[in-house]
Amino acid sequence: MNRIGLTLGPLLFNWSAERLRGFYEGVARHSAFDRVHLGEVVCGKRMPFSDRVWPELIGMLEDAGKEVVLSTLALPATPRERRSVLEICRDGHLVEINDLTGLPVRTGLPFVVGPLVNVYSEGAARFLAARGAQTICMPVELSLASIGAIAAACRDVEIEVFAFGRLPLALSSRCYHARLHGLHKDSCQFVCERDPDGIDVETLEGQPFLAANGIQTLSHGVHAFCPTPAEAAAARIRRLRLSPHSTDMVIAGDIYRAVLDGVTTPAQALARLRELRLPGELVDGYARGAAGCSPAAP
Amino acid sequence: MTEREKGELPGFVRALTAPSRLLPLGLVLTLALRGLAKRRPALFDRLGEHARRSFVIEPSDMAFAFVMVPDGAHAEVRTVARGRAAGDVHVLGPLLALLGLLDGTFDGDALFFNRAITVSGRTDALLALRNAIEDAELRPSDLLGLEGRAGTLADASILRVVGTLQRLTGLQPDGMPS
Amino acid sequence: MTLELVCPAGTPSALRAAVEAGADAVYCGFRDETNARNFPGLNFSAEELHEGIRFAHRHGVRVLVAINTFMRAGIADAAADPWKIALACAEDAGADAVILADLAVLDHAATHHPGLRLHLSVQAAAATPEAIGFYAEAFGVKRVVLPRVLSVEEIAVLNQAIAVETEAFVFGGLCPMTEGRCALSSYATGRSPNLDGVCSPPEHVDYAQAPEGTTARLAGFAIDRFAPTQLAGYPTLCKGSFVAGGKTSHLFEDPVSLNAAGLVARLAKAGVTALKIEGRQRGKGYVAEVVRTFRAVVEAVETGRDPVEAERRLSSLVEGGRQTSGAYRKQWR
Repeated sequence: MNRIGLTLGPLLFNWSAERLRGFYEGVARHSAFDRVHLGEVVCGKRMPFSDRVWPELIGMLEDAGKEVVLSTLALPATPRERRSVLEICRDGHLVEINDLTGLPVRTGLPFVVGPLVNVYSEGAARFLAARGAQTICMPVELSLASIGAIAAACRDVEIEVFAFGRLPLALSSRCYHARLHGLHKDSCQFVCERDPDGIDVETLEGQPFLAANGIQTLSHGVHAFCPTPAEAAAARIRRLRLSPHSTDMVIAGDIYRAVLDGVTTPAQALARLRELRLPGELVDGYARGAAGCSPAAP
Repeated sequence: MTEREKGELPGFVRALTAPSRLLPLGLVLTLALRGLAKRRPALFDRLGEHARRSFVIEPSDMAFAFVMVPDGAHAEVRTVARGRAAGDVHVLGPLLALLGLLDGTFDGDALFFNRAITVSGRTDALLALRNAIEDAELRPSDLLGLEGRAGTLADASILRVVGTLQRLTGLQPDGMPS
Repeated sequence: MTLELVCPAGTPSALRAAVEAGADAVYCGFRDETNARNFPGLNFSAEELHEGIRFAHRHGVRVLVAINTFMRAGIADAAADPWKIALACAEDAGADAVILADLAVLDHAATHHPGLRLHLSVQAAAATPEAIGFYAEAFGVKRVVLPRVLSVEEIAVLNQAIAVETEAFVFGGLCPMTEGRCALSSYATGRSPNLDGVCSPPEHVDYAQAPEGTTARLAGFAIDRFAPTQLAGYPTLCKGSFVAGGKTSHLFEDPVSLNAAGLVARLAKAGVTALKIEGRQRGKGYVAEVVRTFRAVVEAVETGRDPVEAERRLSSLVEGGRQTSGAYRKQWR
């Protein structure tokens, strides 16, 4: 049986070029990830800054033996944003589509389907597989039971599960960072760069609930799906995706590698994750078919 | 005259509806509801699982509350003293506002958007009931089981009386106290 | 230039109200999780749809059936698949089109129901010429309901670049999030628009009364609070009041309704084929009044008469009593 792969998903937040370099250097040097996504997914306005950094990081990660996937925008709107999606989709690297804009030009070439594309059933997965989908990262809402059913019906596709990080829950054409700071999206002053894990959103009663990241809304809780090797194999999961946060992602990667290899138990993995500096409590309801905010086992 | 909330019945009307005179009301309404279920089963299909829930309807201007289980042929309505009723969902408001919901005079969304009516408990059951009523286009004659000329006559006179009372008590057609 | 007015019907009586008030087309859905307004007591049985379509067709009005949620995984028995049943029922009842969002449902419809006209639901969130072109080519989609994220200028440019008709929302509840790509509801409650056809489902709604006011909770999360004299709102998650960065605000969207009556002429000029009114969960009183008003708006635009005072006429029917033109004006962002 093949070893379950470990993917470092695309960074969703607005980090500076230096921070990006430092972060991915660490990932290249000594992380357990075998596949790393690069590229801006959330906001096209951030691209002029980060686009300059990606080429050197691609080389560095590939030299370190990592498979690099180029991620594309989830909500391309302007002509420039659409052009960037189409250009990346014509690239020789493996590419992740996060919206169907890139699908026509990518059809026939292998691609990854990101969790922001709605693949809720076997039929949708088969449809995309026939067009070249090699890996499909399931939408975060799906239960393990649904994921297993899709994986069983589409054995030629690598099924990936979003296993760590604040859950990407919603997108908007409105920028909540700008709105919160009384700014207009077009002159946002890039205020989202102040919040490396997004800005916390609480209820009126002070209960942590969500997080805003530009046009994206995430969960406040940090999703942690830590299956035993047997559970992952039973659901035919081939990859787990960890979503980058300001915490030590190299250690997070090690924790997941250890649980997937059967070296530690899921309970031990959760305990070790809780020792990290996380932006929210651990949750795992979606995997169990419950509300996404349901706390992970203590 | 004593102070009363907007939309609530004037004292003389309350006197006419004192609880002692209304003891058989539960039975009358039970029979009316079962008759309606026989004539228009689709109305009750719409309630789905919520047909078996108990709806406590408390007119704030009366001394008693209704407890209704709208379960088609097994439908039941009881009257109980106010404050003593238990059920899956509670609706509290002036009788005329509650009647307005029944005959569709008031937009059902007033349930949530205005404060004339207070809701607690199973909001989904109440939403199902309001959608079923919304589709039913109920007339007083439907509840009374009257047909033809008698039905038309009953509709006209009852709706006129209710409408007059609603205007008298300051309720507007959107269910909002004016 | 004729604009088609597409109107909501949550129940057969609302369908009749929309037809009588001047709809060109009515859209509705089945009473299950196959459509995005799966609220208790709402929607149509197969028999009611048959009857509704007969009524509408007698009055020269088209009926569009929304089957716009995402097929569930792991349905072993295809004969019991609610989405496949819904497609067959819609065709059987004589629907003029079905409104779909899911790749699996679209694929099934295109393969097994080639006679059905396909519209792409707003839930598919197709906002670029490439994505729309893909749906047209892969499934033969004839019309796309535009995501509520585009400005009028962007719609005009888009219409130049695509070969299918477009339908734009002009009135009703407004999602600030890109529809079909929002899991906020399931994060809090376990049930979502994509999977269950419901947002902020009523069984998780609770109003707690206290002397200082009412707190509206969704699955335990305090979504909003109302003073005793203030209008209460249904606790839709994204319209709630939250605290971020030390500020309390309606962070995502104020409790407002979309009213683009003032933009109808510009939407027509931008090449939009149909105008859509939201509100299958609303009563027939709402449907009748909104449809009548927009019928007058469209007639005024088409004949070059004075504009209709739609905002004044509809102010009592909108949530929070306030109206916005939403993303159609770029400032919204």
